[in-house]
Amino acid sequence: MLNADRFCQYTAKDISAPKARKSAICYRLFLLIPALFLFGVHFAFADDQVAVTVQRPWMRAVPNVMDSTAVYMVLVNNSSVPAELVGGSTAIADSVAPMITTKEGEGLKQVVGMKGVDSLEIPAHGTLVLEPNGNHLMVMGLKEHPKEGAQVDFTIKLEPGDHEIHLKIPVQKKPIK
Amino acid sequence: MSVVSPKTPSVPNPPLKRSFFDWRVWTVAIVLLVAVGLAVLFGVKQQAQQGFLGMRLFPLKTAYDFKLKGPNDAEVRLDQFQGKAVLFLFGFTHCANICPTSLTNLTEVYQALTPEERKQVQVVFISVDPDRDKPQTLEQYVTSFDPSFIGVTGPKPVIDQTVLAYGGSYEMVAGPTNEPNDYSVNHSAYTYLVNPSGKLELLYGNEKLAEVQQMVSDIRAVLREPRS
Repeated sequence: MLNADRFCQYTAKDISAPKARKSAICYRLFLLIPALFLFGVHFAFADDQVAVTVQRPWMRAVPNVMDSTAVYMVLVNNSSVPAELVGGSTAIADSVAPMITTKEGEGLKQVVGMKGVDSLEIPAHGTLVLEPNGNHLMVMGLKEHPKEGAQVDFTIKLEPGDHEIHLKIPVQKKPIK
Repeated sequence: MSVVSPKTPSVPNPPLKRSFFDWRVWTVAIVLLVAVGLAVLFGVKQQAQQGFLGMRLFPLKTAYDFKLKGPNDAEVRLDQFQGKAVLFLFGFTHCANICPTSLTNLTEVYQALTPEERKQVQVVFISVDPDRDKPQTLEQYVTSFDPSFIGVTGPKPVIDQTVLAYGGSYEMVAGPTNEPNDYSVNHSAYTYLVNPSGKLELLYGNEKLAEVQQMVSDIRAVLREPRS
C-alpha cells in the first residue's frame, strides 16, 4: 500500500532542500496527485500530437422524460498542433455529437437553436469551452437518467490520430461556480 | 470644578518638523483615499441596484392573455395569475442545452425568493412542440425543476398566435436522420416577466437568467410596485 511517508522518502531524494522543507513539498505533491484526479484533470498523448487536457467535465442531470442531455467541459490543447473534438460515447446513451448554439435574427425575433457539427476545434495552445447556452456535446437516446451526484463513464474522441480520452464525469444540475 | 494638570516644566515647544515621510500625513491621506474609494464604489453599486437587469418595456402594455393546455388538459390562461408576477418562456422538452439551462437558472432564482414572495410568483414553460410534448410529459418535465412550475402547450395555431403576440418566433429544423420525429426547434429564448397587474414589464435574454441575485432583485422590485 502506497502511503505518503514511503512516497516522500522515495521522491524527495533529489530535491536539494532542507529535510523539513523537503518533506513539506513532498506532502503537498502527494496530496496534489489525488486532487488532480478529483478535479477531473486527465492527460492524453497520442502520436506525439494530441496533448489535450480535460477540465471540469460534467453531465447535466435531466428529468426522466427527456431523451437527451448535454456534457460540458473545458478542453486545453497543450501542443502546437490544432486538435478536433469529433464526438464521444457512453454506455447510457445511443450517441454523442458535438453541437454549436446558433442565433438567427435580431431583437425579439431572434431564435436560438443548436446545430450538429462534424467537429469542434481546440486551437494549438488554446482552449475549447463547452458550456451551458454554448457549444456542447449532446448525448442522445438516453437509456438511463443518472441523478445528480452520480458518475458516468464517458469517452471523448479527438483527431488527429483517432484518439480517445476515457473520463468519469460527475452528473450535476448546474456548473460548480 | 476644574481639573488641574500636573505642573510640567515650561520648556518651549520644539519647532514642528514634518518631513515628507511623516507617517501622520500619510495615514490621513490613506484614510481619506480609502473613504473616497468606498464612497464611489458604494455609490456605483447603489446606482446599479436601481436599474433592472431585464430590458424594461415602456409604456407598459397589458400582456397577451394566452389560453393554453396545462396539467390534465386543463385550460391555463395568463389572466388567471393576476396578482402574481409571471415568468414565462418558450421551449420544448427535447431541447438539451438552452431550455434546461434557463429552467435551472429560473429554479435557482425562484428558490432564492422568500416563501412569501414565492406565493406571488409563477413560472410557466410554454412548449412550441405540441406533437412531442403532451401535457403529461410537460408536467413531469417542469415539476422536476420545481414542483410549482407549470408546463403548457396547445394546438399549433394557438401556439403560433401566442408566439406572435409576444413578438417571438420559432421554426422546426430537420435532424440528421430523415425520420419524422428527428427534428430540433429553433425558438425565441427570452423569458418574459408579466407584473402582478398583468402588464408585460421585463424581458430577459437566456444568458441573463444566470444572474440570480439581480433576477431576484428585479422580481422584488416588480412585486413592490403599486398595482394598477
